[in-house]
Amino acid sequence: MSDPLIAASKAASNGLFAQSTRMRVLSENIANAESTGKTAGSDPYQRKTVSFQAVSDEAEGVDLVTVDDITRDQAPFRTEYMPGHPAADAKGYVKLPNVDMLTELADMREASRSYTANTQVIKQVREIVSMTIDLLRPS
Amino acid sequence: MQPMQLFDLAFRQNEWLAQRQSVISSNIANANTPGYKAKDIESFDDVMRSSVSMASTDDQHFAPAETGAVRNQDNGSGEADVLVSGNDVNIEQEFLKSSEVMRSYTLNSQLMKTFDRMLQSVTKA
Repeated sequence: MSDPLIAASKAASNGLFAQSTRMRVLSENIANAESTGKTAGSDPYQRKTVSFQAVSDEAEGVDLVTVDDITRDQAPFRTEYMPGHPAADAKGYVKLPNVDMLTELADMREASRSYTANTQVIKQVREIVSMTIDLLRPS
Repeated sequence: MQPMQLFDLAFRQNEWLAQRQSVISSNIANANTPGYKAKDIESFDDVMRSSVSMASTDDQHFAPAETGAVRNQDNGSGEADVLVSGNDVNIEQEFLKSSEVMRSYTLNSQLMKTFDRMLQSVTKA
């Protein structure tokens, strides 16, 4: 087993990567909250969701986190009556993305909280390492 | 107590603390992973009890088999709420543990420094 402190910062940086991927997907959702199709009756942008998975790193002896899969949300689309829209169907209804702003923002809040937690861990590990190095410094 | 033994003990605890810190960071990294259960390691008392070897005064004495490896174990149930996703990591609790690690590590390092200075003041004279 290698140094546990290095393993700790590895786990934390993996956490940072996972949370930033989540943030990226969330911003895609928010940016595309009004993206409709082009042709009559076509499907609009479908909301993406991220799922995480714990992966055990045998060499380091820690549980790392990885992005397991980015999938499409199968929830039904919103519809709105806009007869003049290019994506309107025969009855004049346009399908809008199944993105809910409130859900996205709450998710974003959680992602940023987890990101901060991971940076805090890295800070603390660095402080511990420098404390050990300080033992060698002649006083 | 001999100062050398104290250095050994302090280093041993620092090793244990580093191991604990890595388990804590695993927990925090997996704070949003469905089905992940928070982990902790054996308490230092248990590790010491199993790892401090008995003195062998004869060649025919057995060496203890267990080397006192640090094992991961699940957090006791009921310490934190289990979310719908099956995840029971409590970030506040992890930070509490982390600051505990920090405090002990600082104490150990300072103690070692002090003893190092005492030794030096004798050897340099």
